[in-house]
Amino acid sequence: MKMKLELKGIQKSFGEKKVLQDISFSAEGGRAFGLLGRNGAGKTTTIRILMGVFPPDAGDVLLEGRPLNVNQIGMGYLPEERGLYPKKKILDQLIYFAQLKGMNRQAAKRSVEGWLERLGMIEYRDKKLDTLSKGNQQKIQLITALAHNPQIIILDEPFSGLDPVNAMLLKEVVKEEIAKGKILLFSSHQMNYIEEFCDSIAILNQGSIVLQGNLNHLKRNYTRDRLVVSSENKEKIVKDWGSCCTCSENGELIIHLTSPQEKQKVMRQLTENYDIDGIRVFEPSLNDIFVEYTGGLDDEAV
Amino acid sequence: MMKQFKTILSFELANYFKNKIFLGTTLFLVILIVGVMFFPRISAGFEEEEGAGEGDSLIMLVIPAAGMDEEAVQRTFAETFPNYQIQTTLLQQEELKNQIVSGEAECAFVLESPTAYTYYVDNLSMYDSNTNKANEALQKLYRMEAMVENGISPETAGEILSAEIEYHTESLGKDQGENFFYTYIMLFALYMVIILYGQMVATNVATEKSSRAMELLITSAKPESMMFGKVIASCLAGFIQLTVVFGTAYLCFNLNKDYLDSSGMISSLFNMPLSLLVYMLIFFILGFLIYAFLFGAVGSTASKVEDINTSSMPLTLLFVIAFIVVMSSMTGGNVDTPLMQAFSYIPFTSSIAMFARITMSTVPFYQVALSIVILIGSVCVIGVISARIYRVGVLLYGTPPKMTAILRGLMKSSTSGIQQK
Repeated sequence: MKMKLELKGIQKSFGEKKVLQDISFSAEGGRAFGLLGRNGAGKTTTIRILMGVFPPDAGDVLLEGRPLNVNQIGMGYLPEERGLYPKKKILDQLIYFAQLKGMNRQAAKRSVEGWLERLGMIEYRDKKLDTLSKGNQQKIQLITALAHNPQIIILDEPFSGLDPVNAMLLKEVVKEEIAKGKILLFSSHQMNYIEEFCDSIAILNQGSIVLQGNLNHLKRNYTRDRLVVSSENKEKIVKDWGSCCTCSENGELIIHLTSPQEKQKVMRQLTENYDIDGIRVFEPSLNDIFVEYTGGLDDEAV
Repeated sequence: MMKQFKTILSFELANYFKNKIFLGTTLFLVILIVGVMFFPRISAGFEEEEGAGEGDSLIMLVIPAAGMDEEAVQRTFAETFPNYQIQTTLLQQEELKNQIVSGEAECAFVLESPTAYTYYVDNLSMYDSNTNKANEALQKLYRMEAMVENGISPETAGEILSAEIEYHTESLGKDQGENFFYTYIMLFALYMVIILYGQMVATNVATEKSSRAMELLITSAKPESMMFGKVIASCLAGFIQLTVVFGTAYLCFNLNKDYLDSSGMISSLFNMPLSLLVYMLIFFILGFLIYAFLFGAVGSTASKVEDINTSSMPLTLLFVIAFIVVMSSMTGGNVDTPLMQAFSYIPFTSSIAMFARITMSTVPFYQVALSIVILIGSVCVIGVISARIYRVGVLLYGTPPKMTAILRGLMKSSTSGIQQK
């Protein structure tokens, strides 16, 4: 049976400032859920409410339809602001954090050593944390989120600062955890990772959810009013089609249609009149969607 | 929650015992105490050795006034100053001064009449009591001679003059003189420990905050567990440190009893009545907890460790004022002033004020009990409030929030705390 974590109508204000307004989304076990948003959109506040650091002003956090009891269900958290005890031995502090999450000492030690082994860090167990490189410190921090075998895992920017080899290792670990049926909440600005792992996303902007749903559906439902054209004689097309044409980031020619219904007609016109290598309907990347829903609000953005 | 508290407590306590500064100060204090306590014994050993080479003791010159019995003067001074070699001479003033400056003689009394003299010494020490002794000696000599002149035999005169009054004092309350010293020591120890450990707790919290370990901690443990775990760990660490230090002192005292007993102050410390020791423990622990909680809360509002000194200033000041008031009433000899009575019930001051009153005066038991009950209640309330401040404070970065902002946050969190339950 898959677990289901739901946030319903969460509101939160700090003083006069409304930080979250009517946040609702749900995440399932065995799936990764992406929580996106620009800096200051309210992601961390949402996560803190989820973890019971402070209560919401209104709304509920439910697991299987019942109010979530943070003390009963194990939660693992990798905060965006990384930090442990710089001057303490790695093994000692990892055991401490696992114990805080409810493990007994022996079990904590076993689990932590298992993870140190898994992440190739076992040789550093007796070193002080601040003797490690940033990437390795991050791996240590990851262990604090996983060692107590939590059912809900929240990873905030897990890939920042990792080299490609470590990023690969982390991807494997994340996939394993998802495969174990855990609920994974992912927050990142690196959209490629979100696209790789997450089935569903919610985009937060200024304390409200501006878009959410299954990532594939979102992409499919995106207004299909753009064509991507690859051709040897782009210049000619641009000359004839003028203001309808733009160039994408990777140099592809994009033709904006006045409505999605024109799609077939324009495709025919193009293939008949120009030397065309290929035409497809533009499918936005998550990046495009994100920018569309959160961009252009810089002046108001908190 | 209990399990978390125990985990935090043992982790924090272990940190104290791994802390080089903590270990260093403890070791330093132990060595210092051993040194001080063994000093009289060691120096007594040296003196004995020196004693063998007697003969080069200090020379005191005495010039009798015209008409005085030189022999009697010599005898009187020799009795009064057994550590000096007394030489009566008739040197001129200049010569005499030269001898003192050159170090040939230590000091000189030039008697102008049987009741007036000038005392010459090279460097007048702060503790030089020679003139007092000389006054007594000369007075005795003068009276003796006057009596003899008036027909009383020298023996009778001697008896009259050396008659001593026997007396006993029975204090029905407390003997302030005897209790003063150990009360002073205990209050001072409490003061030092509270200020030191309070700062340590504050620094500890602020370090976790600035290293961002806090981000993980607040999502792993209840703020109440964190606060109580940290504070009680510091209390235990402080208590263990004091036990080691005073234990060493007690051991050294017993080893060196014969050499130390001359100063009644030290033995008064170790012969403290058990009931007072128990009171001391109670007030010590409660007073410590109150301040440690507050220091912890202050630490949670600081973003940087450097901010702590300024943020904790009002708290330190509060305690310093309490300490000064208690100390000055103690030295003033009246610990039952209205101010002290009020201080005995205010939780921030009662730990030291009430303890001072118990040791230095007679306080009805119900007052002591009331003070303790207020303290215990305050520890609980302040502990919970501090944990709330902590929960609000640790999430605030940037400039330390104003007191009003903290209080507003507190009100909010206390209502939301109810919701949470």
